[in-house]
Amino acid sequence: MSAEPYVEALLVGALCGVVGVHVVLRRLSFFTMAMTHATFPGVVLAAIVGIDLLLGSGLFGVLVVLGVTWLSSRPRSDPSAAVGVVLSAGFALGVALLSAQAGFTRDLSAYLVGSILTVRTGDLVKTAVVLAVVLAVLAAVGKELVLGAFDRGGLVALGYPARRLDLLLLLLIELTVVTSVPAVGTILAVALVVAPAATARLWCDRVGPMTAVAAGVGMASGLVGLAVSQVAAVAAGAAIVLAACGFFVVSVLVAPRHGALARFRARPAAAPAGVA
Amino acid sequence: MDESERTALRFEHASLAYGRARVVEEVDGVVRAGESVALIGPNGSGKSTLLKAVLGLVAVVGGRIEVLGRVPARARRDVAYVPQADTLDAEFPVTAGQVVLMGRYREIGWIRRPGAGDRRIAAAALDAVGLADRAGERFGTLSGGQRQRVLLARAIAQQPRLLLLDEPFNGVDAVSQEALLSALASLGAAGAAVVISTHDLALAHLACDEVCLLNRHQVAFGPTAATLTPELLRAAYGGQALVTDGVVVAH
Amino acid sequence: MVRLLVEPFESPFMARALVEALLLGVVGAVVSVFVVLRRLAFVSDALTHTVFPGVVIGYLVAETDGIVWGALAFAVLSAVLLTLLAVNARVTEDATLAILLTGFFAVGVILVSRRSSYTADLTAFLFGRILTVDRQQIILTAVIGAVVLLTLALLGKELVLRAFDPDGAAARGYRVLALDLALNLVVALVVVASVRAVGTVLVIALLVVPGAAARLLSDRLAVIVVLAAAIGALGGWLGLAASYEASVNHGLRLASGATVVLALVALYAVAAAVGAVRSSGRLAFASGGLSSERAP
Repeated sequence: MSAEPYVEALLVGALCGVVGVHVVLRRLSFFTMAMTHATFPGVVLAAIVGIDLLLGSGLFGVLVVLGVTWLSSRPRSDPSAAVGVVLSAGFALGVALLSAQAGFTRDLSAYLVGSILTVRTGDLVKTAVVLAVVLAVLAAVGKELVLGAFDRGGLVALGYPARRLDLLLLLLIELTVVTSVPAVGTILAVALVVAPAATARLWCDRVGPMTAVAAGVGMASGLVGLAVSQVAAVAAGAAIVLAACGFFVVSVLVAPRHGALARFRARPAAAPAGVA
Repeated sequence: MDESERTALRFEHASLAYGRARVVEEVDGVVRAGESVALIGPNGSGKSTLLKAVLGLVAVVGGRIEVLGRVPARARRDVAYVPQADTLDAEFPVTAGQVVLMGRYREIGWIRRPGAGDRRIAAAALDAVGLADRAGERFGTLSGGQRQRVLLARAIAQQPRLLLLDEPFNGVDAVSQEALLSALASLGAAGAAVVISTHDLALAHLACDEVCLLNRHQVAFGPTAATLTPELLRAAYGGQALVTDGVVVAH
Repeated sequence: MVRLLVEPFESPFMARALVEALLLGVVGAVVSVFVVLRRLAFVSDALTHTVFPGVVIGYLVAETDGIVWGALAFAVLSAVLLTLLAVNARVTEDATLAILLTGFFAVGVILVSRRSSYTADLTAFLFGRILTVDRQQIILTAVIGAVVLLTLALLGKELVLRAFDPDGAAARGYRVLALDLALNLVVALVVVASVRAVGTVLVIALLVVPGAAARLLSDRLAVIVVLAAAIGALGGWLGLAASYEASVNHGLRLASGATVVLALVALYAVAAAVGAVRSSGRLAFASGGLSSERAP
């Protein structure tokens, strides 16, 4: 196999890892999931209209982010229900549009499980550019985003435009999603965003190291997954995801201090009688 | 009534733990039928934990707690718990009357629906807190104090022998406070024992026969006037305890 | 207009599709009320994905007839896992949920990818084929639907109490974990019933949209349930009619599962508009001073 898929796996792994830290800190996993589904119509529309797919889905995704933000801000509306509605609507729209075209099932599958093996240099360049942009933005406002995740009131009190920072993060997530989905597929892109960061969370207590570890685990998952998919002749995107999940599961068990084994060993002696 | 019937709640060197950590140590005291006890102490002193232990939801790792002569988990039928109203979702599509009716569910049992008798009891309970005319309104549209009264009515509908209230007077307006106190007094007169966790010393003096001062361990347990002394309060609140308008503002 | 709503269903296969859509719409909608009340949209979404490998395994073992049984096995397993997961977490629950669901889904994809008719199978599993529903499937859907509705009817008051006041429920001696497991199993059963007709990806719409829409229209639980059921049924009907209309009269092939979801979302939008008018009307009334909702 040529080098392109491996390079893409490294780039996407790093990208998802660094953004994933913020997704995990702010409990935005469901939102990320919804973004992977709701940006689908953008891809189809871009293909129909004839513009670059990444551009098309990216622009459409911005609309989705604005829509979710607005829906969630309305009174008496439960954010998770709003996200559920947007997820359903977006994906159904995409499926409807796509089904009107020929080649329905093939294109849909490519969208769902990704096609990292057919990635070309042009795609690599796009991914690299997105990674650079995301890293630059996070370098600029990463600290503020973390503060906003833990203490939104504090962020507002300090005079930061908290809502705009929130929106910025959602747009970063959207950008990450539309860039990663062509590589590993919709549902699977969520794994690459969440799992390495969740793994890093089990090993690190500070955001800096957590980000580095998340990027590292993301990249490692990409490499391991691709290698396994070559050897075992299974879907590449899925193999990458399972690698990422594997790292997580192992960490849940063995991470010092936060892993299950460590917590089990640290517990005090059993209590005497008297429990009701 | 023999001794065990008159004793609603007994603590004997009770120590409590949440998982690994001991949270409350050595609580000793007795609450009899018709009596009310104020549970007073700073935040984090273990008041909520103690209430949960009486419900059998927290492990007793030392000594014991006896509720109505039984082990806490077996006494739940006759024990009612009133949480703080603001912990509940104000958007939930349920009316005040429906909330009170929830107090009857254990009596009604699984699968069966509330009967006319249950509805009568629930209506009477809502009337006891002065909100009979609000039965059809959504719970969340009521004021904080009114919601607290509805939750007390829910407990009353259970017809309990022991009532546990978790900071029921927090942020409650004067009218609702009056209604709560009046309902609690009636319950006491009818023989129910009441435990109220609170920061409000004036209310403790007004409504409670005894006080348990708690700060992870029991500082004192005795008659209200004798126990709410400046020294003991200082010991419970660990340092300079400032009392403003009868409410403890602790350091 | 009325002709548009009736004519499509004159042929037997469309009539069967309609019955299936109505059944799933109503049952899914009633469950969706609880999903919305308990904020279980993500958990339900997770269930739709964790069922997927079961669907594939069932198919590999017993062709199309095996799908439902594979789905059922994994649905029960997932419901148990997800209930236990909610008990505690250092990594937040929603991250663990996401990892679990994508992991399961990836296993399903791997199993599917080893066959050569990969893409067509994948699409069928994920989006269903409501137009090829047969009598046997309808009966199975009806049975599962009956079990679901019966369970909700029997456990309804306790489920509502737990949703409203979990601490209060625990204080009364109810096992909150058991109630949660019951509801998760109910959701899982809806996924299983829907898997052949609507597929795993679009069923989340049945499990969220009707309840969310109905909630915008009413504050009374009983009314919400009835409205949700109506919306669920209407969405199925309109969606199928639209798909037929587009296909027959405009030469546009639109996947039926997708049009049903879009119909539901359109109804949600209508409900949102009506709901907005309702609450602004109420505000106007209250600020007019005729009655204060918060008088002590």
